[in-house]
Amino acid sequence: MKNKISGLVSGIIAVFFLAVLALVVIDSANKSRYDLPDYGSIPHFQFIERSGIPYGKTEMEGKINIVNFFFTSCKGPCPYMNSQVAKLYRKYATSQDVQFVSISVDPQRDSLSILQNYATDFGVTDNRWLFLRGPMDEVEILSEKGFMLGGELPDLHSTKLILVDSAGHIRGYYNSYNENSLELLTIRVRELLKKM
Amino acid sequence: MTEKKMHQFQRLSVFTTVATFFLIFVGGLVRVSGAGLGCPDWPKCFGRWIPPLHAEDLPAGFDAQSFNVTLAWIEYINRLIGVLVGFLILATAIMAILYLRRQRRILIPAIFAALFVAFQGWLGSVVVSSLLEPLLVSLHLLIALLIVSLLIYITQALHYLKDGLLPKSTAVNKPLRNWIVILWVVALFQIVIGTQVRSQVELILSDFPLLFGLQLIERIGLINYVHSILGILFMALSIIVALMLFKKSEFRILGVVIVLLPLLQISIGSAMEIFGIPALLQVFHLWVASLIIGVILIIFTQLSYTEG
Repeated sequence: MKNKISGLVSGIIAVFFLAVLALVVIDSANKSRYDLPDYGSIPHFQFIERSGIPYGKTEMEGKINIVNFFFTSCKGPCPYMNSQVAKLYRKYATSQDVQFVSISVDPQRDSLSILQNYATDFGVTDNRWLFLRGPMDEVEILSEKGFMLGGELPDLHSTKLILVDSAGHIRGYYNSYNENSLELLTIRVRELLKKM
Repeated sequence: MTEKKMHQFQRLSVFTTVATFFLIFVGGLVRVSGAGLGCPDWPKCFGRWIPPLHAEDLPAGFDAQSFNVTLAWIEYINRLIGVLVGFLILATAIMAILYLRRQRRILIPAIFAALFVAFQGWLGSVVVSSLLEPLLVSLHLLIALLIVSLLIYITQALHYLKDGLLPKSTAVNKPLRNWIVILWVVALFQIVIGTQVRSQVELILSDFPLLFGLQLIERIGLINYVHSILGILFMALSIIVALMLFKKSEFRILGVVIVLLPLLQISIGSAMEIFGIPALLQVFHLWVASLIIGVILIIFTQLSYTEG
């Protein structure tokens, strides 16, 4: 009998120990995911959206933004990059809290109507995916100084997707050519959403 | 084999069995905390035998974005415990080869346990390189259950060997043993379904990353119902087995345990439905499943050796 009782007691202690271990591990794993790097705030800017309304940092605030730079006549990486963005756009169809911001690096050619057609080609039906056009010099400054991206515009623009949180802070850069990186992006968006 | 050696072997096999159950718990914890890809490579972690502590220490070729020091270490500690358990099982097999060569019913399971554990280590690397393909993750769990079953059998066989007991003829306790086999098959089947429920949750999350808790459960669909109904069926089966066990004085405690564990398991499962799959409950749900498999094996072996 004594044996059985001590067996039961050590069993209970073991389960208690396991529960504490599990809580600590799960909690630190969760915290480590919330703990996204913060690359600082993006600067204030205001461009024009394809619909003709002014759009900038103020409009990005309060939402989780996935930002990229592109131009419509780009035959290289842009179509693939934006097809990946389109996938995400469809994935987040049920949420108004996640939006996509694509900024043209060739405002000379990319008129609002061209941007509108480009959006339609990618299956954009609502205003969760925004296409912005602004003066070239401002776009250059925003890309280089604001988003800290390299590359001569327009041809050598970055193919990174940039995660910007609801406070307008850059929280990560993701490679649109890498499935793992995109997977990571969706995990990060989920964590940011939990916090909102 | 001297009595002293026998005693050492017994202690080794008990310790190895307990350590394996602990490893199954840790493995579940890795799964639930989402640390399975904490190290993108295998067996090293970010190209190092000791994972880096800071993103700046990453060797060239690794993306700093994918580095999370907490997840890397959770996964790596799982691997280290896995290696330790692997060595314990290897030691068990070596003991059996050295001292119990003629006891086939101990030697053979011990060698198989060692072979399975080597396979399990290799499978671990495949799981990582497959980016946690659901079927492979489930197979990884099933092999773990198989290994722990062999270890339980070895531990008990050693115990009976020491007392000079041999397995009874298969005619002894036949109907009850048949029931136990059915219980074991249903349990394994139920575990496979359970892993598929989990995979389904992940599939839903990859399509609808915005669903949380209860909304998520609603979408799991058919397989979740199957899992619940089979759980109740298993409970009923275990009550039948328990009633039969109660008639044998030596089996009363096991009879209680084989009812209490499924009851606990159903409670955890129901709590997961109510509270939206909290991580802590997931870990225990998986672990209690492994305990149930263990208890079924203990009962079966004991029934093979004693008339009760």
